[in-house]
Amino acid sequence: SKREIKMRKLDSTKVRPLKTEQLLHIEDHDFALRPGFGGSPIPVGIDVQVESIDSISEVDMDFTMTLYLRHYWKDERLSFQSNKNKSMTFDGRLIKKIWVPDVFFVHSKRSFIHDTTVENIMLRVYPDGNVLFSLRITVSAMCFMDFSRFPLDTQNCSLELESYAYNEDDLMLYWKHGNKSLSTDEHISLSQFFIEEFSASSGLAFYSSTGWYNRLFINFALRRHIFFFVLQSYFPAMLMVMLSWVSFWIDRRAVPARVSLGITTVLTMSTIMTGVSASMPQVSYIKAVDVYLWISFLFVFLSVIEYAAVNYLTTIEERKQLKKRGKASGMYSMDAVQAMAFDGCFHDTDVDMDLTPFPEPCEENETRTSQTNVSNADTPRLKRKRSLKGNVGRIILQNNHVIDTYSRIIFPSVYIVFNFFYWGLYI
Amino acid sequence: SHILKRNRDLTKAWKGKTEQLLRVNEHDFTMRPAFGGPAIPVGVDVQVESLDSISEVDMDFTMTLYLRHYWKDERLSFPSTNNKSMTFDGRLVKKIWVPDVFFVHSKRSFIHDTTTDNIMLRVFPDGHVLYSMRVTVTAMCNMDFSHFPLDSQTCSLELESYAYTDEDLMLYWKNGNESLKTDEKISLSQFLIQKFHTTSRLAFYSSTGWYNRLYINFTLRRHIFFFLLQTYFPATLMVMLSWVSFWIDRRAVPARVSLGITTVLTMSTIITGVNASMPRVSYIKAVDIYLWVSFVFVFLSVLEYAAVNYLTTVQERKERKLRERFPCSCGIPHSKTMMLDGNYSESDANSLAGYTRNQMVPEEEKPEKMVVHLAMSNESNSSRKRGLKGHVGLRIIQNTHAIDKYSRLIFPGTYIFFNLIYWSVFS
Repeated sequence: SKREIKMRKLDSTKVRPLKTEQLLHIEDHDFALRPGFGGSPIPVGIDVQVESIDSISEVDMDFTMTLYLRHYWKDERLSFQSNKNKSMTFDGRLIKKIWVPDVFFVHSKRSFIHDTTVENIMLRVYPDGNVLFSLRITVSAMCFMDFSRFPLDTQNCSLELESYAYNEDDLMLYWKHGNKSLSTDEHISLSQFFIEEFSASSGLAFYSSTGWYNRLFINFALRRHIFFFVLQSYFPAMLMVMLSWVSFWIDRRAVPARVSLGITTVLTMSTIMTGVSASMPQVSYIKAVDVYLWISFLFVFLSVIEYAAVNYLTTIEERKQLKKRGKASGMYSMDAVQAMAFDGCFHDTDVDMDLTPFPEPCEENETRTSQTNVSNADTPRLKRKRSLKGNVGRIILQNNHVIDTYSRIIFPSVYIVFNFFYWGLYI
Repeated sequence: SHILKRNRDLTKAWKGKTEQLLRVNEHDFTMRPAFGGPAIPVGVDVQVESLDSISEVDMDFTMTLYLRHYWKDERLSFPSTNNKSMTFDGRLVKKIWVPDVFFVHSKRSFIHDTTTDNIMLRVFPDGHVLYSMRVTVTAMCNMDFSHFPLDSQTCSLELESYAYTDEDLMLYWKNGNESLKTDEKISLSQFLIQKFHTTSRLAFYSSTGWYNRLYINFTLRRHIFFFLLQTYFPATLMVMLSWVSFWIDRRAVPARVSLGITTVLTMSTIITGVNASMPRVSYIKAVDIYLWVSFVFVFLSVLEYAAVNYLTTVQERKERKLRERFPCSCGIPHSKTMMLDGNYSESDANSLAGYTRNQMVPEEEKPEKMVVHLAMSNESNSSRKRGLKGHVGLRIIQNTHAIDKYSRLIFPGTYIFFNLIYWSVFS
């Protein structure tokens, strides 16, 4: 039965005995039927204000956003008489009794309407039946991310709105103010990303069983801040590679030192690589940071192999020279003393290894049998009788294996070239 | 109450009510259509929106899907001139009968409810109903990790009516195998989704009877690349690094030991890292086999050096005893011996040196030894003078222990062989 619509009393000191039901004809309102039921589609305008982007998760490939979602439509069943044309705001719980559009977020994983202290819902009705329905929502939605340039990457994510039940013939969803419908709080910011732009777009989505639906998109692009990764991954890796080059400058007779330097830098690189992968999804392609870390690992690994080669070749050389020296020393009993002096020199070196390469004189004595050989190498003999210092100096000079000498130049230059290529390619 | 005819005048608000249209007040939602009669066929259609995650530790998967039911309820038929369906608000489902489909073996599930319950109800004039909802469900999947990470997992989501047996409700796939559709961009970072297909069966419960059960089956093949980069390559590199030890002079005790032990430590770290993200199963996984065999190789390289070191010490002890037995009558001055000793006392820092300056090379056994040695070294004749050199030279030659020589070939050869077998068995 119809109730009378009472006119708003201008005397606001008295309490109004009016009820919402009387004002908005709730009893007559069938919320199961949309406005214009059976007729043309109802246009519903959407307006969004993004409050914050809470988090971006690489492992789950999703983002969490909090926004104010506002719907605007016209329902004539809710019109009421008013002489001031001002809107009336009602409690949020009234929406249970009227029809509201059923917008949902496509590809959302979790979402909820905030309900502290009461449900964050606003319902405002204008005298002509225009309705403003606003909600505060937090939604976690999927964002497909491509990590092939991680951490120098830019991700494009979008939040999609669509009506669940009503297709294009029943409900037309559109951005109320076009591109300006999307507004953001001033201080919206993320720690790890720079939010490049927010833009709104719309499209149609087809479902084979149910038809065409209007879909609205909130697009934004996120550019990652590289600084954290430079500090966390790139610098340590670079420093480890540089540390492995120190090994080329250390005397090759210091076997434990060079070996443990090499192996410890390998271990540290391995730890850095494990650390980076811990916070990343397990993707099936190589990321930019992987490229850098693996090539640095390769450099460090090669420095260990380089020292193994130096050591091995030195041992062979020493073997050869000891053989020759053995021949020669049989001839020169007095030189044996000097040879001992030689040995004494080698004693002075504190290193554990006696990978002592022998000075040139010994090699030149190789073919000697007896005195004849002596005449072949006058200079070495002279050198031998000369002060020990010269010999020592020569010994120390020759203690640089040729591989080491080249490595000191090759390794750094190749690494610098690699860095030029890498940063040029990815930035 | 009357069934009002649909008002053709679209300018006026639709004055009918759902209750009047669908006779909801007469509809007893506790009784299924054709109650007491034949079973009602309910067709099911699924569109998979996304596979959110696969968890190995929990052995489950999370899927978001649109679940659509199709059935005919004559109580809901209404007269219509254009045979078009009518879409109603989702809250109407509380007042009519709907099938009670549930997900067997699901752990958690929910119907999305932002901004309103994601439910669609569409009724055709002849009483056919389309009931659609958006659901996220986490369901169990038994996974077999014996081939991890070169494995394929087959998981399935099962739908069944909770209350109605075969005689009351017949659940079937609406379009056979075409009933299952997936979004275009459905993808997982770690898996390749091989195929989705549907099957249906009957399930028997001893207390309640036979039920129709529908299955959504899909196969996931894991991308190996991430594990290659994270686990296999580091392990292989560590094993190769342990081989470097065979090329380093055996007198470099600290170097070889620290090399061996650090590679063991790194292997141990890699093994721990892999197991952190895996469930604790009672059988061995493919990656375990690889890592443990690599660990054994690295371990053996440490033991190999311990053997080399021990045997070298034994050898030196023998040679020292031999020297003691020979008086120094060979005319070889102390100097030569000392030269010899000098060489060896340089290795004072390591434990190989057993000689002191006062010891003499025993001569009695020397010829025999020399003969043996000389024979080994292809020297033409043995003279004492040459012999010493030969002796010394041979000592240096023998500084590559036979075990090391063999290890340089055996270890890499065996490891490559193991790799060939492993990858052909598991790929």
